[in-house]
Amino acid sequence: MYAVFFALKKPLFEFLYKFAALPKLALITCLLLVLFACKGEIPPLERKDHPLPQDAEVSEAEPGIYGGFLVTAESQQPRTFNPLVAEDAYSSQAIGRFLNGLTTYHPIKEEVVPELARSWEISSDRKSITLHLRRGVLWSDGEPFTAADVIFTFKALFDERYPNRYQGQYIIAGEPIGFEKVDRHTVRFTTARAYSPFLYVIGFIGILPRHKLIDAYEQGTLLQEWSVRTAMHEPGELVGTGPFRVHSFRPGQRIIYEPNPHYWRVDSKGQRLPYVDYLITRFVQDRNTSTVLFASGQIDAADIAPGDVVGVSRNAPLHGFTVHHRGPATGIRYLWFNQKPGVNEDGRPYVEPHKLEWFTNKYFRQAILHGFNREGLIQSVYFGRAELLHSIISPANQRWHNPEVPKFPYDPGRAIELLEGQGFEFREGGQLYDKHGNPVIFDVYASEGDDITPQIMSTFRENMRDLGIRVRVRYLDFGTLVARISRHFEYEAAMMGFTGGADPSGGRAIYLSSGRLHLWNPEQEEPQTEWEAKVDELVYASEETFDLEERVDYVHRMQEIFSEQLPLLYLLTPHAYAGLKDKWQNVHIPAMGSVIWNVDELYLDREL
Amino acid sequence: MLAFIIRRILSAFPLLFGISVLVFILMAVAPGDFLDVARSQEDIPAEYIERMEQEFALGEPWHTRYFIWVGNVVQGNLGESWIYRVPVTELLWQRIPATLVLSALSILFALCLAIPLGVLAAIYKDSIFDRISSMFAYAALSIPEFFLALLAVMFAAQTGLFPTGGLSSVEHEFMSFWGRLADYAHHLVLPTIVLGMGSVASYMRIMRANFLDYIRSDFVTTARAKGVPEGRIMFLHVLRNAINPLVSGSGFILATLLSGSILVENVMNYPGLGQLIFEALMRQDEFVVVAAVLMGCVMLMLGNLIADLLLAWSDPRIRLEKN
Repeated sequence: MYAVFFALKKPLFEFLYKFAALPKLALITCLLLVLFACKGEIPPLERKDHPLPQDAEVSEAEPGIYGGFLVTAESQQPRTFNPLVAEDAYSSQAIGRFLNGLTTYHPIKEEVVPELARSWEISSDRKSITLHLRRGVLWSDGEPFTAADVIFTFKALFDERYPNRYQGQYIIAGEPIGFEKVDRHTVRFTTARAYSPFLYVIGFIGILPRHKLIDAYEQGTLLQEWSVRTAMHEPGELVGTGPFRVHSFRPGQRIIYEPNPHYWRVDSKGQRLPYVDYLITRFVQDRNTSTVLFASGQIDAADIAPGDVVGVSRNAPLHGFTVHHRGPATGIRYLWFNQKPGVNEDGRPYVEPHKLEWFTNKYFRQAILHGFNREGLIQSVYFGRAELLHSIISPANQRWHNPEVPKFPYDPGRAIELLEGQGFEFREGGQLYDKHGNPVIFDVYASEGDDITPQIMSTFRENMRDLGIRVRVRYLDFGTLVARISRHFEYEAAMMGFTGGADPSGGRAIYLSSGRLHLWNPEQEEPQTEWEAKVDELVYASEETFDLEERVDYVHRMQEIFSEQLPLLYLLTPHAYAGLKDKWQNVHIPAMGSVIWNVDELYLDREL
Repeated sequence: MLAFIIRRILSAFPLLFGISVLVFILMAVAPGDFLDVARSQEDIPAEYIERMEQEFALGEPWHTRYFIWVGNVVQGNLGESWIYRVPVTELLWQRIPATLVLSALSILFALCLAIPLGVLAAIYKDSIFDRISSMFAYAALSIPEFFLALLAVMFAAQTGLFPTGGLSSVEHEFMSFWGRLADYAHHLVLPTIVLGMGSVASYMRIMRANFLDYIRSDFVTTARAKGVPEGRIMFLHVLRNAINPLVSGSGFILATLLSGSILVENVMNYPGLGQLIFEALMRQDEFVVVAAVLMGCVMLMLGNLIADLLLAWSDPRIRLEKN
């Protein structure tokens, strides 16, 4: 071995000697540059003519033409393609491209619409729902879709061997939902009590192909199926009924979807959807990158942050896109006080008793919100592209948001009045003291790593100083903050944001006094205050009625209680903006959710 | 020589053991854990989180998880990523080729540029060329890599000559073999330069200093007296002597390029190990983190071993067996 090394050595140094000829390097570079010039283009997709299913759904959208590819960008890549493993929105989104649920939420109509189930009936006792499946639907590999697939999916979901996040959604009043096959195209679900969000939540889980996964299910390896490895090496194994199937997946780079040749939606001309030849999602490191990519015309759609709207719009004529205003975002941001009574394992109270007395006093909380200049914040931080939040449900959720709740605009005079009414008094130096003579001081924990939070917190601290209250702001990393508020309960106040779903049933963990995210005092055995008991009652009532108006009414009343009691001080909600290239037709931008929610209906206008 | 290699490899095991213990302790001390993201989502039920805590042994002290991990390692697997539910080795292998290509290219780039430049700077000492190259070297050394990466991305975005990031373009899957190769090459230009730039400067300085030492040696005078052409003396005889420190130093290159690439890969959106490790660290995906750290150590040790072998090869005066 050594001899070979030595034999090689001489020529190597000879080569180095001759290497002085740098011009060669320049020549090679030039050659490479010529090669770069001949870039590839995506060839049009050849579509095979498969018969349409008997129960094909005819789209209400205007018929389009085939061709083109749509490029989007996401800041994170899917971690899995297995719905039983998926925990994050990015994986769920990728899964939703090739799997369908039984029902789905239509973001424009704001109601549950059929997907794999074409219709349903609710029994007279409202505890059993019969779903009629679409007949003639085929999986993307050509196998028929039947009730057996639905039963298989729910059996896997409730299997002890496969813990997953959906199980909890389908346990109603402490009991798992029942499911049975009625015939080849009918399934019946039963719930322990009447549960009206059922049709909404039943659509969450993508129906899995039994013929593909039954072996893994029986061997107990279902959770290992359909990982990123499958998508990389055998994308054809990811069989679904959705509009697309995976063409190729490159970790850290992109995923390319191609139309599912057996998809069950058609347009009014009888053409099978989707129109696009390829749907491409690029993975970028952060949202700023996707904004830059959109502004430079390299991707077709992107969410634009309020602060970037002006800058991005400047390029609109150059690349032919429009930045659409979507109104308030679904995310809500709030600040709250720890109201947890009792002591921790070491016998120390979670919150010092005199502070707990302030925090559990609703007038104190109202005064704080009155004293916080959120209006000023909107002007200075968001340049007016945000609005005040008054309710626990964001105004983006038009169907459920209650605009008539008690509001607490910036009014320091009123704040002082409220405080003095509760026995607080100002002493030397403008410091506020409670009736027992304790100075009003508290700590607020917030998560670091977002550029808006410090601006909000410093405004809050200044505003509180005007009320004679000393606020100390502590920044923690996200994990520590979550641990503090959900496990150790060692904090006085905290600020956080949540993104809301379409149906209020998604917020149960926050609303119910027994909820895990009932942040101010979670997982109560019995509701500890009257108003929390009332909220629990309203939440259950809203879930038991199937009458939509009645449900809305219950949810409105619940919001009124929350806004009156202010366990969470709602801060503000920024406006959402979405950029989309003008060449896409059939675009309907909903108030919440993905801009390209109807990607199967989008088609390219070649003239633009 | 074989004995030397075996000895070096065996001596690596206690080190790897120590490092893995350290990683587990540090991960346990760091605030929060893998499930924090799930805990903050309103629609994930508490039962599910409890199940996951049990499955990942997250409620347990760190040594429980460490023994689980050691048990796995003894059986030849490095555990499963909690995020991806895929064996860690599989996950790393998805990313290793991209990072290796980038590292190899930037080492090559650095050496190809630094050696001739260093030699020339030494030969023409104190000339205008020497001054300019020194200035360039100090400038390149003082700019941090991530900043250079940002500049490169800006340059790419402004001129449109190069892609702004990534390893391949959107059309990649639909290209011919040569088209794909050219596409990769096009994407690699900027990251290679960014990652290699710092090394160019430092190698050049080392090369220059050593070359100056040897240029005044007696054997140079002898060779000149014998009438050997000047270029041959410089590039064959002096260079061969002067290159030793560069060779022994190259052992660290592998490791430093790997750590440098974590930042550069994240800025330039390059789908290599850096991205994966960064994500695993942020989410505290323990088995991935420990595997990545161990891999970094192995790379460092391998790099040093290779460097030692190379040194023995290029300099007959060094005999490994005797150490």
